[in-house]
This record gives sequence, structure tokens and C-alpha cells, in this order.
Amino acid sequence: MAAGFVGFEITWRKDVFGGAPQAGSAEKFGTLGINFRARKAANQDEWTAALEALRCKIPVDGTEEARA
Amino acid sequence: MSDVLREQESALDVNVLRQAIQEEYNEVASHPHKGFHFHTGRPLARILEYQDEWLEGIPESCIESFAGTGNPFSLGELSSGERIVDVGCGAGIDSLIAAKKVGPNGRVIGVDMTSSMLKKSRRAAEEAELKNVQFREGYAEALPVDDGWADVVISNGVLNLMPDKAAALEEMNRVLKPGGRLQIGDILVQKAVPESAKRKIDLWTG
Repeated sequence: MAAGFVGFEITWRKDVFGGAPQAGSAEKFGTLGINFRARKAANQDEWTAALEALRCKIPVDGTEEARA
Repeated sequence: MSDVLREQESALDVNVLRQAIQEEYNEVASHPHKGFHFHTGRPLARILEYQDEWLEGIPESCIESFAGTGNPFSLGELSSGERIVDVGCGAGIDSLIAAKKVGPNGRVIGVDMTSSMLKKSRRAAEEAELKNVQFREGYAEALPVDDGWADVVISNGVLNLMPDKAAALEEMNRVLKPGGRLQIGDILVQKAVPESAKRKIDLWTG
């Protein structure tokens, strides 16, 4: 999610460079063609809700739970 | 300018990168059959699953310089009367397909930084007699389009060439109406690209 977009989704991926007339220098990084879509948040409430949905607790060694 | 670009500037000369990309795509415009590290033209359109009917009425001079990496039209229908911005429109194939889809009550603005591509796209729109499409010179990071103008932003094989991707996405967001759609064809890498490699111009263009 970036720049106020919600509903990010990659719908398709494919090797679109294979068999091209020249070899590409980026090939070694496993480049694939993709399609992706997203939607501009309809309002501030939707954007805030989308950011809130991304919040999560990250367990870290050394916390009270880990020492118990 | 975003923080991302400021960090990159010390490592990558953005103007040199833009010039290299323009030179590469000038070649795609003027010598489309030369043979590149990517497919072009109708063979590429087939790989990307473009439907034959989309290409009907679109001049060959436009199709031959097609150099996308995905299929923005597979991501959602463009409806009659909608307004579309095509970021990095190249020779104009996606803009012209979009212009056909939205019909005479819709509008399409194609934006590109390469003058030879814009020349081809304008000529192709005239040949196709599509009057609802306009082509403008500009950068993805500073789109020459009003705030909230577009229902849909499309782009195809362009975002990966942007040194400042965050700025380009912010601009796409700015020109979209609230709730507007982003439909993008681009590339991803399956292996991490080292920072040292990101400074190599030929890796960006090839």
C-alpha cells in the first residue's frame, strides 16, 4: 500500500522477456511481467481504516512473554 | 522531491538515467524492428494477452513500437464516458485502446517524456480519427494533469523505469478522483537487486 491506495492486488505474472532478440542485463534478477491494481481511498476514513488494518504486534525475543 | 529520490541522488544521476531511457525509447520509436532485450509490437501484444479486437483500427506505426510488460485492460473494464490517464504512453497503443473503450464522451490523456514517441502517438490518433485523446509531454513524477481529473490511471512497463517510484505513485493518486482505479502493467524482480547494481544505468534500461 502506498500513497493513499487501498486494495492492492497482483493479478497476473508471466515471463514476458523470454526469447527476446537481445539478452537483458536484468535477467539474472528473475524479472517477470505483472499486472497489478489498486484504488484511491474514497475518503480519509477509508484510508485511516486501511492503515489501521496493517497494524500488528511483532513478537520480539526479550519481551515479557519470551522470558516467562 | 521525495526522501527516496534524495537518498538515490547521491548514488544515481537522475538526469543521466532519464537521458539513457529516452535514447532507448527513441530507438523503439524510430527502429522498432531492431531487436531489443524485450519483445515489441504485435508479438508482444499476444504474449501480454491483448485481444485482437482491441487493436482493430489502431495504426501499425503505433503497434510496432509497443513495449509494455503487462495488460492494464485485464484489470477492469473501462466504461463509456470515463476519463483515463496513461502514464508513459509511448507510441500511444494503450491510450488509443482506452479511447476506443471510453467512447466519444470519455477522455484520455497520454503522458510521455520522449518526443519521438509523442510524435508517433499524435499521428496515430489522427490516423485512427480518435478525437477524445490528447498527448502531453511530461514526467510521471510531475503529471501535467489536474487534481482529481481521472477515473482510471493506466500505465504499462513504466514504473520500473522511474527513479522516484513513490513520487510517481503520489502523482497518480493526485490525478485520480476519490475511489479512482489504478491499473498497471509492470515488472517485478524475484531476486533482491544489490544497491551497487542499482547505480548501473544499463541495468535500468536493459
